[in-house]
Amino acid sequence: MIVDVNAYLGHFAFRRLRHNTAASLLALMDSKKIDKAVVSSAAAITYRNAQAGNEEVAAETSGHRDRLIPFAVINPFYAGWQDDLKICHEEFGMAGLRLYPKWHNYNLSSPCCRELVTAATERGMVVSIPIRVEDNRERSWLLNIPDVPLEEIVELVKAHPKSRFILLNGLGYTGSPLGRKDNGLPSNYAVELSRLSAVLANEIGQLITNLGADRIMFGTGMPFNYPDPALVKLEVLDASDPDKDKIRSQNAASWLRL
Amino acid sequence: MTIRQSSAESQTRLSRRTLLKGSAVALAMGAAAMPSARGAAVERPAPGTPSGTPPKGRVIDCHAHLSHRSRPTWEADDRKLIEAADKLGIDQLCCSTLTPRQPATADGFRECNEWTADAMRRFPGRVLGYCYVNPGYGREALEEIRRYVGERGFIGIKLYNEYTCTEPVVFPVVELAIDLGVPILHHAGHSHYFVEEQPRLTDGGHLAELARRYPEAMLICAHISGGGDWEWTIKALRHASNVMLDTSGSVTDDGTVDMAAAVVGVDRLVFGCDSSMTAGVGKIRGADLSAQDKEKILGGNMMRLLRRRKA
Repeated sequence: MIVDVNAYLGHFAFRRLRHNTAASLLALMDSKKIDKAVVSSAAAITYRNAQAGNEEVAAETSGHRDRLIPFAVINPFYAGWQDDLKICHEEFGMAGLRLYPKWHNYNLSSPCCRELVTAATERGMVVSIPIRVEDNRERSWLLNIPDVPLEEIVELVKAHPKSRFILLNGLGYTGSPLGRKDNGLPSNYAVELSRLSAVLANEIGQLITNLGADRIMFGTGMPFNYPDPALVKLEVLDASDPDKDKIRSQNAASWLRL
Repeated sequence: MTIRQSSAESQTRLSRRTLLKGSAVALAMGAAAMPSARGAAVERPAPGTPSGTPPKGRVIDCHAHLSHRSRPTWEADDRKLIEAADKLGIDQLCCSTLTPRQPATADGFRECNEWTADAMRRFPGRVLGYCYVNPGYGREALEEIRRYVGERGFIGIKLYNEYTCTEPVVFPVVELAIDLGVPILHHAGHSHYFVEEQPRLTDGGHLAELARRYPEAMLICAHISGGGDWEWTIKALRHASNVMLDTSGSVTDDGTVDMAAAVVGVDRLVFGCDSSMTAGVGKIRGADLSAQDKEKILGGNMMRLLRRRKA
């Protein structure tokens, strides 16, 4: 089984996405033998009211919950986020969140963000954080959104040891405490591999050594990204079959209770 | 044979036993015999194409780099590049060695090219050399190209960001490339802001302009997935029929290769990684193109360019 913890539905403001409906994404997943995918709204990244995107994803995934696992995009700086979180969890059955602090103009250290993480944790929801949405060099002339600094993630995971975080679309963890062995941080975060190298510098291999294969999860970033590069990483990764199985699906299945 | 080569070849055999699907034996560009690496790049046919018929052609990474020897790990890094190519089914890598900082001095690019030549000896048949020069050095740059392309078997010229390709200082290099019948791989990118660290960065529009000035030149626009606005780059190059688009770069945006194929045609696309190995291979595998079209991109088109070399 392959579980992708990094997938999306809907439109993105700055580029046309293919495979961005439930039907087309599932067809893509079938062609790539990806069994399940965690999806959130791509539109909610730029909607002022992110909850509208959550409603779209809830409707789109209805009838496909055996394969599409919806996550909510919550902006804790926007009115009514507590109500949105409750609806997403209790009515939409969303098992986790995605946070976009730079796109939504807050910091991970902001009290409102810490309040959101605490509330999500109390609900047993996983908190995932895309380090970036797209490469900054291809950005629109309208905006300049930096990557989420790994230093902010370090402080967040320290401040919320009982929370569970999945870090998406990141790299360079081995140059940060997040990817170092015996880093003194709680083991409450996992790293998704779509931007990590599996050859040359082989950051995935380094992270397996430093953190353990339990802390790496498979993800593609589809439909923003071709899913194939991440699949190729799994194929060529120099790791044991049990470790690959953990990365391929078991870690995500455990965290998401699949 | 050195211990280093022996180790690398042992690794090659190991990975090929594990990953190879095909059995072709190809000759390296030039003369040396070279085992074929049929691995991940060609392992899976595209959806809708017949299964079990992997492309037969050679897989050539048109954009690769060797490590500068100021890095203490350069030797291991070069070996890892070959090992990664083995794992991914890449038969040959068109490599340049760049100076750590630009603009490169004449001494700087000279030692880089000598190291590239040494890598061609260390990895016979696997490494094909680009001659890297800074066109600002005029006579020295042209002499370097004549020496390494004309006499030592390098397959093309690598230009980086010292000058925008439309600046007159670049023209003698282009004219020499035409005389020799070899391609120029030109670093390029287009962002919607001024890239301060690369004030003379070439983009697809510049390359299209250069291509109009020199329609007989063989130009390769580097890494359309190298981080800039690839949709802009592809559209800017639509009508520049003598500019090839190199698919390399770390960005794996869905649709990149598909759009490039639709706008400029598969005959103008050349596969590359620029050190982003799984990204490079994965994008081609993921593109919704026929196996025949992928075969062209993976190596057929680059082979066609390389055959235009003049004696």
